[in-house]
Amino acid sequence: MTATTATTATTAGIPVRVRVRTRRLALYTVLVSVTGLFLGPFGWLVLSGLKTQGELAASPVHWLPDTFQWHNFTDAFTQIDFLGYARNSLIIALLYAALVTLSSAFVGFGFARLDAPGKKVLFGVLLGSMMLPQMVTLLPTYLIFAKLGMVDTYWPWVLWGLASAPYLVFLFRQFFAGLPRELEEAAIVDGCGHTSIFWRIFLPQSWPVLSASFIIAFTWTWGDYIAPQLLLSTDRTTLAVAVMTAYVNEGGTPVPELQAAASVMYVVPILLIFLVAQRGFVAGMSTSGLK
Amino acid sequence: MRPQAGASVSRRRFLSLSAGGAAAGAAALSGCAMQVSSGVSGSGETVTVMVNSGDILPEQVQQAKKELGIKIALVKYDITKLIAMLTSGNPPDLVRGVGAVDLPYFAARDVAQDLDPYFARSDVLKLDDLDPVNDLWRFDGRTQGKGPRYGMAKDFSQDSMFWYNTSAFDKGGVDYPSELEPITYEEWLENAKRLVQRKSGQTTVFGGSFNGLTRSTLLTTMTASAGGSLFSDDFSRVDFTTPEARKALTWYIDYCKTKVGPSQIQPDPNGWDGPTYQAGRLGMSNSGYWLGGMIYPEKKLAEVSRLAPAPVFAGGERISACQGGTGLWMPRGAKNKDAAWRVFEWFFGEAPAKARASGGWGIPSLKSLRPLMPAQEEYQKRVLKVQENELKHFSVVSFTPYTRADAIDALFNQIAPAAMKGQISVDTLAGSLNSAINEQLKRGKEQVG
Repeated sequence: MTATTATTATTAGIPVRVRVRTRRLALYTVLVSVTGLFLGPFGWLVLSGLKTQGELAASPVHWLPDTFQWHNFTDAFTQIDFLGYARNSLIIALLYAALVTLSSAFVGFGFARLDAPGKKVLFGVLLGSMMLPQMVTLLPTYLIFAKLGMVDTYWPWVLWGLASAPYLVFLFRQFFAGLPRELEEAAIVDGCGHTSIFWRIFLPQSWPVLSASFIIAFTWTWGDYIAPQLLLSTDRTTLAVAVMTAYVNEGGTPVPELQAAASVMYVVPILLIFLVAQRGFVAGMSTSGLK
Repeated sequence: MRPQAGASVSRRRFLSLSAGGAAAGAAALSGCAMQVSSGVSGSGETVTVMVNSGDILPEQVQQAKKELGIKIALVKYDITKLIAMLTSGNPPDLVRGVGAVDLPYFAARDVAQDLDPYFARSDVLKLDDLDPVNDLWRFDGRTQGKGPRYGMAKDFSQDSMFWYNTSAFDKGGVDYPSELEPITYEEWLENAKRLVQRKSGQTTVFGGSFNGLTRSTLLTTMTASAGGSLFSDDFSRVDFTTPEARKALTWYIDYCKTKVGPSQIQPDPNGWDGPTYQAGRLGMSNSGYWLGGMIYPEKKLAEVSRLAPAPVFAGGERISACQGGTGLWMPRGAKNKDAAWRVFEWFFGEAPAKARASGGWGIPSLKSLRPLMPAQEEYQKRVLKVQENELKHFSVVSFTPYTRADAIDALFNQIAPAAMKGQISVDTLAGSLNSAINEQLKRGKEQVG
């Protein structure tokens, strides 16, 4: 026993405690470096929002501003109707995220628990549609919505929401496929139809996936530039479009420090939502077998 | 996973909630979407104008409503959206365009409205008051600069001119370029070589930038300056192997190779000259009069900044073209043409035009507005004198109607870097450009018919 302890306490003359500490130090060094790598661009964005235009263009690089230009943030907020555009983004993102989460859950349930001829082929087609680049469908999409009189309205986001999203359908299908068959059988014995089973048994079980799906869909829409740019007019568009296009001087050239400050404010809601819901998000991704 | 999550909802309740939600949603969405505060509402005619941010400011939208009784609905300019709107038969009433390159493209495709009848009866925009730059917006079915007017420039610059920073010249011990007589392109490049500053392999101060508004307009105007034409007589082909085009191409590739200024193989992280010039990191900037709008508010910078004429090739013609002439045109399918024309008159001849003229961001496109150009300070007077002299050398350099400038630029950007890096010769580059661009022009000609 004593001999064993002595063997585990030191290996090749290095005490175990030192080895553990060294490993931990190395691990933390790697983790801190990777975190720094990921946070670097955001930190750079924040610093850019606090500089003058001259400091942004300087060479060698001005890492820190001589004087922090906090007014860039207030200017970015007041130069455009920031809250108005944010409200538009919020409406579209909430509308789409809520609808697409429900519709995708419904479709995912069908693919996971119901049988019908051609189900596998249909699921393949659905997954295949994820490979279609958005740019390819851009013009036809506009033409369809123009014919329906839905350009410059939020109806396209309602229809897209009701149509479900292939990735989210996949997410729900994976989750529902993992639930025990007995749950469903017991419900059928109790007289439940498939809609009731979905609504009463499966949906209440799927909160982690629901929150993951909602966050993903919200983030897609909040960050989408192409669809609102194509379908909405300047005073009805979203914050993503406004931040990219509205900060210009009289000559029509961009004002990068205001753009940077606005971009920081633009990502804050997404960060907050993720911080609040991250536990559900992580659980949703892991329980659907997609981790 | 949560085993239980709240009370179950009955199917009936779900359906009633859904119906209620749908009804509420429909009510909320039926009137379209939420507007940000443009300050304009109420009835009256609406004119949809597709422009960039800053072309028409929100307060000008309010002003138009007040002065004209017309509501301007702004749509952000986007070529994909424009084509989608034109295809769907619901185009904007007025569209932003770059006269020098966009007009032949759209007019040849018969989507632009001939505005001659409107000009003929206008009290605001009189033909004899139009600056010659507005000829960029004329097209007779083959050649730009002749035929009916399809639009108008909001303001303009002669885009081969350049600004220079006298501090940089003093520091480099280089003589200032003449403000009235052009230097040659060769002299310009020589100056740039002497002005460039490098540290540890990095360029800290660019000697000069010379990239034109687009590579295609730059090479078109430079070839004209060398006494030739980049395009064939019917604009259906380019030829970079003619002595004049080759001269222009060789000079530009030399400029890139020597890395005295921003180019595709040495991009400026700022994306354009303004901030770099402002930061004192650019000796010469190939920008026309409009850059003054950015320079004047900074008095220190304005006092060391001077404008110089467009360079010439030794023995070549003195040509000082406009590569932009950005303005508005009216699609033929516009739904509200008379109201759109009223907005057109207001934008080009009334309050917005006067505000632009006094801002220094371009030369007004109406001769009568020239007295409004900034000339209070000594440096502004000096710049104005150079500009007035340069106007004598303005000419329209026609562009092809068979493709867009950005399409030619995309091909140039794919092929030319090899020559900029010295991997292929200028002759090989010229041949490759001819093949690729002529193929594109051929397809464009087939479309136009």
